[in-house]
Amino acid sequence: MTKEELIAKLKTIVQPYIQDEDAFKNLNENTDFINDLKINSANLVDVILDVEDEFDIRIENDDMEKMISVKAAMDLVNEKLAAT
Amino acid sequence: MIGNDIVDLEQAATDSNWKRPRFLDKVFTQQEQDYIFSAEDPHQRVWLLWSMKEAAYKVQVQQFGTRFFNPKRLECKLLSIKKGLVSIGDDTYFTRSEITKDYIYTIAKQDKAQKVNTSMFKTEYPAYKTQSDTLKHNFLKAISKKEGVAFETLDIKKTAAGVPQVFSNALKLSTSFSLTHCGRFSGFAY
Repeated sequence: MTKEELIAKLKTIVQPYIQDEDAFKNLNENTDFINDLKINSANLVDVILDVEDEFDIRIENDDMEKMISVKAAMDLVNEKLAAT
Repeated sequence: MIGNDIVDLEQAATDSNWKRPRFLDKVFTQQEQDYIFSAEDPHQRVWLLWSMKEAAYKVQVQQFGTRFFNPKRLECKLLSIKKGLVSIGDDTYFTRSEITKDYIYTIAKQDKAQKVNTSMFKTEYPAYKTQSDTLKHNFLKAISKKEGVAFETLDIKKTAAGVPQVFSNALKLSTSFSLTHCGRFSGFAY
């Protein structure tokens, strides 16, 4: 999967939860889920569960800890996919 | 230091489904899940525990300046219906919650004896931006009065860790405070 494909998939996953349209339109690697997209923290749990379902991976709580930006989510997905 | 968190129970029911597979295991310890399933109103209990974790997390981030997302690492203990403790590693915070059928509002403190001023209110237009602006306005009015500084000189800026700080002109005020909003409700505490 290319970087662009991964970002596109993450963008689809987060869409239902975002509260800032402009930040969503400009979503890139540096986008922060909470500070930029204004996703509420309970919905960040949904984002993580949706990522698990979409990529058929499991994210442990210690890994989840870092998942506050698009970049961190991409790194984690890549790492998990490489391990399977 | 102080943290607060409000949950609009109706909004939470629309936005989140805590019954979806694996949700509870990602967020709550076994002890907390026992609290939930032994409660008369599990929905209310889920969001009570959630607001305790959020409020305590806001104190922790002010204290250490490091963000993380791991709700399960914040462990809740209920001392009564309203009072609780939240532990993160070696740190423990004291919480007190107001529970109504519409919302749950929790305040967490580092120091049990700290006096807290707080205000919560309902906003008519719950668009994110409007609500956030109203909340800041009301909070700055209160700070202006408390500190005896002109409202016009006050401004809120966030640190890199997302912690809000209040400034009068270029001078940072030392007041620890916390802002929260969810659905129809907003609140501030300092």
